[in-house]
Amino acid sequence: MTRIEDKPDDPPPYRHRSIWHMIAAPVVWSLHFAGVYAWTALSCARFGGPDEARLGIALATAAALALIVVIGWRAWKQWDFLDDYDDVHDAPTTEHRREFLGHAGWLLSIISAIGVLFVAAPAFYIGSCL
Amino acid sequence: MTETRTQQSAFHVAEPEGTYPPTEEMLDTPVDPGLKKAREDRLRAAWKQPTGLRYWSAVNNSEVGAWYSLTAFAFMLAAGVLALLMRVQLAVPENDFLSAERFNQFFTMHGSAMMFLFAVPMFEAISILLLPAFLGARDMPFPRLSAYGFWSFLVGGIFVLSSVLFGIAPNSGWFMYPPLATEAEGPGSDIWLLGLSFIEVASIAAAVELIVGVVKCRPPGMRINLMPLYAWYVLVVGAMILFAFPPLIAGDFLFEMQRSFDWPFFDPERGGDPMLWQHLFWIFGHPEVYIVFLPSIAIAAMVIPTAARRPIVGYSWIVLSAVGTGFLSFGLWVHHMFTTGLPSLSLGFFSAASEAVVIPTGVQLFAFVATLMVGRVKMIAPMLWIAGAVAVFTAGGLTGVMLAIAPFNWQVHDTYFIVAHLHYTLFGGMIFPIVAGVYYFYPFITKKKMSEKLCRLSFWLTFTGFNICFLPMHLTGLIGMPRRVFTYSGDMGWNWLNLISTVGAFILASGILVFAWDLIRPKSRQPLTERNPWNGGTLEWAHDIPDPGWGVRAVPYVTSRYPLWDQPKFIERLDEGRFYLADAEEGLRETLVTSAVDAEPQHVARVTGPAWCTILAAAFTGGAFIFPTFHMYPPAIVCGVLAIASIIYWLWTSTAQVPKTPVKDVGLNLRLPTYVSGAKAPGWWGVFITMLGDATAFASLVFGIFFYWTARPDFPPQGTAHANLALVALAAVLFSASWAATRIARGINRQGKVTAARVLLGLAPLLAIAGAAALIFALRLPGLAPTEHVYPAMMWAMVVWVCAHVGAGVIMQGYCLAGSIFGKLTPRYDADLWNTTLFWHFLIITCLVTCALVGIVPRAMS
Repeated sequence: MTRIEDKPDDPPPYRHRSIWHMIAAPVVWSLHFAGVYAWTALSCARFGGPDEARLGIALATAAALALIVVIGWRAWKQWDFLDDYDDVHDAPTTEHRREFLGHAGWLLSIISAIGVLFVAAPAFYIGSCL
Repeated sequence: MTETRTQQSAFHVAEPEGTYPPTEEMLDTPVDPGLKKAREDRLRAAWKQPTGLRYWSAVNNSEVGAWYSLTAFAFMLAAGVLALLMRVQLAVPENDFLSAERFNQFFTMHGSAMMFLFAVPMFEAISILLLPAFLGARDMPFPRLSAYGFWSFLVGGIFVLSSVLFGIAPNSGWFMYPPLATEAEGPGSDIWLLGLSFIEVASIAAAVELIVGVVKCRPPGMRINLMPLYAWYVLVVGAMILFAFPPLIAGDFLFEMQRSFDWPFFDPERGGDPMLWQHLFWIFGHPEVYIVFLPSIAIAAMVIPTAARRPIVGYSWIVLSAVGTGFLSFGLWVHHMFTTGLPSLSLGFFSAASEAVVIPTGVQLFAFVATLMVGRVKMIAPMLWIAGAVAVFTAGGLTGVMLAIAPFNWQVHDTYFIVAHLHYTLFGGMIFPIVAGVYYFYPFITKKKMSEKLCRLSFWLTFTGFNICFLPMHLTGLIGMPRRVFTYSGDMGWNWLNLISTVGAFILASGILVFAWDLIRPKSRQPLTERNPWNGGTLEWAHDIPDPGWGVRAVPYVTSRYPLWDQPKFIERLDEGRFYLADAEEGLRETLVTSAVDAEPQHVARVTGPAWCTILAAAFTGGAFIFPTFHMYPPAIVCGVLAIASIIYWLWTSTAQVPKTPVKDVGLNLRLPTYVSGAKAPGWWGVFITMLGDATAFASLVFGIFFYWTARPDFPPQGTAHANLALVALAAVLFSASWAATRIARGINRQGKVTAARVLLGLAPLLAIAGAAALIFALRLPGLAPTEHVYPAMMWAMVVWVCAHVGAGVIMQGYCLAGSIFGKLTPRYDADLWNTTLFWHFLIITCLVTCALVGIVPRAMS
């Protein structure tokens, strides 16, 4: 099939047309959430106690935040806001589709980072399994 | 610049040929009037509705969607009548209008029916009705699946709801907590479990259909950044259904095993734990609230740009909000269980996530308000309902923020404050936007208008009545009235508040009745509506009046989020049939399948036409679920077999048919394959999505094992027998061999080695059956008895689950073998084999995880 469109020499990376990359940050949020919940249940019920639970939560939170920062940074680069200050992305072009997916991915990274911090916050205050 | 190139893979699989995207000259080339007329006649003939009694065999989205929504609305009215009767009972203290037992049945059925028979099905119904039009598609990708879902819903809904007339309805509350529900006398709990499981299956079917519709049936050019927001919401909600409903189905499975066969999953005396049900129910139940809310608010996202007469503000932000809410809503379930004694640390996670979900929810409301602020708002009648929705939902959201705080929640747990909160969110988040949607889309659906006067009257009655009814309930709850009591004594200080609520309930009901009258009043003398009465910009307003039945005159080429506003000659080109698939030369019903992200044309899908087999399949599926309610197992098995037979007949006669020609001219110098297999085919996506849901249900059972292990010291009990390790290992080997045979058969069939493929496809089911037998004996030999303790019961539950799935896998392998022998499946036309292999990829994971969990993990746990 002939596509009437300018073809760059280097094919763009897969992430430019990938919804999976867009939702990577909330997926990290869900893994963090499930991991923290399971870890707390296990350490409170089977081994250790609140200290192990809180240590694990701290580690998981640091790892999740680091991942989300990387995902968010790459989405920000893909959004490419500073080149044309465009945040609407409603044209039928490859560029707008790439920017839209980047923009949504970046916004999702922010909400996921907030979600991770929120979920970790109770461990900051509560030091018991009761 | 335009060159034509033919691409063909090594196995002569047809690929798209020709030019894409179309040029302006191509789109401007006039069509000869005679040809145009002939094409329209052929299209009209292909999409002609059956008449007379055969009308009910229709499967196209406009009929099924209309039946579906009217049925859901009728169930809603029925559930509303139950609410009114309860309000009469509660109007004055010490009332004896309803007995306690009847009151229990009524509140259980009110909640169950509103959630399972109205809120979720209404989303499916409206989406089936409208989505193809939003996407410029002729129909949904699997029309018969929609029809099957609808008929299943009708049978199941009537069954569940009518139980209330015989006084045998479930009476343990809509969330059916054990031990109350497991110990309840009579068939009530079984009616709830089996009847609603049946409807949950229909919901998953609809979710599969809708996701594939959004991903694969968009018009050429409608890239993912141009999709109507409604489609985004449908995608998110469809995915949520896949992850939310299966835990409940898994829970229902365990629950019914306890009710019917005394397997003690929720019985603490034999190692069970009622909390597992609460977890599984609310892992479903909380996302469900958002499953109900998001598609309704999506209607607002379609109405608001039209009212504001400008594109939506913050499209990406609304997508963020839909997707973000979809995810976060899965981290909230324990906020329904704050008083169950979980560690406060765990409560904290859910409290925090419940607060976090407010952010994306707020973002979308602000985007709506921003659109209205910067637009030139024309206050069209449906906007009244949208405004009411925003006001009421915001009030409900604010009490939600309060309830997410665990200590506050403990104070008002199970009081009327909760009742007030949930009705504010559901009325504001669902009823109001849906009614707005009905008023807004009615001219599209029926080509007639509803009355603006009645719209305003019903709005003000509903809005006033709603607030009179539910606002006082906050206070009733705060001063201590518990929910679900059938009466109360006169000296508690609740009398006036309850009386006011009852008066409000009747005003509210009168508003809904005015709406219902406006909806169904005869309109045959009324003129047809103009084509685009609200001056909307999205594709559905390019509809033809009167309705010719073909969905859309031609599948358009789209370059804007609002084609009717932004694409100058759009309507002219559409009416002339200058877009794709403007003809039906072979008299077949067809729609276009495009790529998932950029919507490049890939394939012409032949969609199915009117059929009775879907109704038969739904009736027999109903029998298979309904007879066990009354412990009548032989007729249930017969119905199950007949349901499978009807489904096989339906698939065999109408799906993945070998086409007469491998490619077809779809117009605008583009030729597309008429048959695709693998990841380009809608059917493959259907299997993939179904199996994701299935995997979630399986994961819920796995969660059950680990839940018992953490929650119970005696899981597994000391000194218990374990499964026979050698037989478990044998089962794993046999399952793997069956899977490998299927996968290899797919490869060598493509290469043309048909006989070898047939041998493998003949061998594979035998291996699978032998594997299932080995797994059963692995539990039987050491004498694991499921009624003794939850540990053997859980092991048996896993094995039953695997055996049922292996049964389906074996049927699919046999189906492919038969297809190969009778010429339905060839090296070139092998979609069924791809789909079967995909099913087996999921199945082999299920089998191997089960083998590990039955054979190895319990030994490590003890």
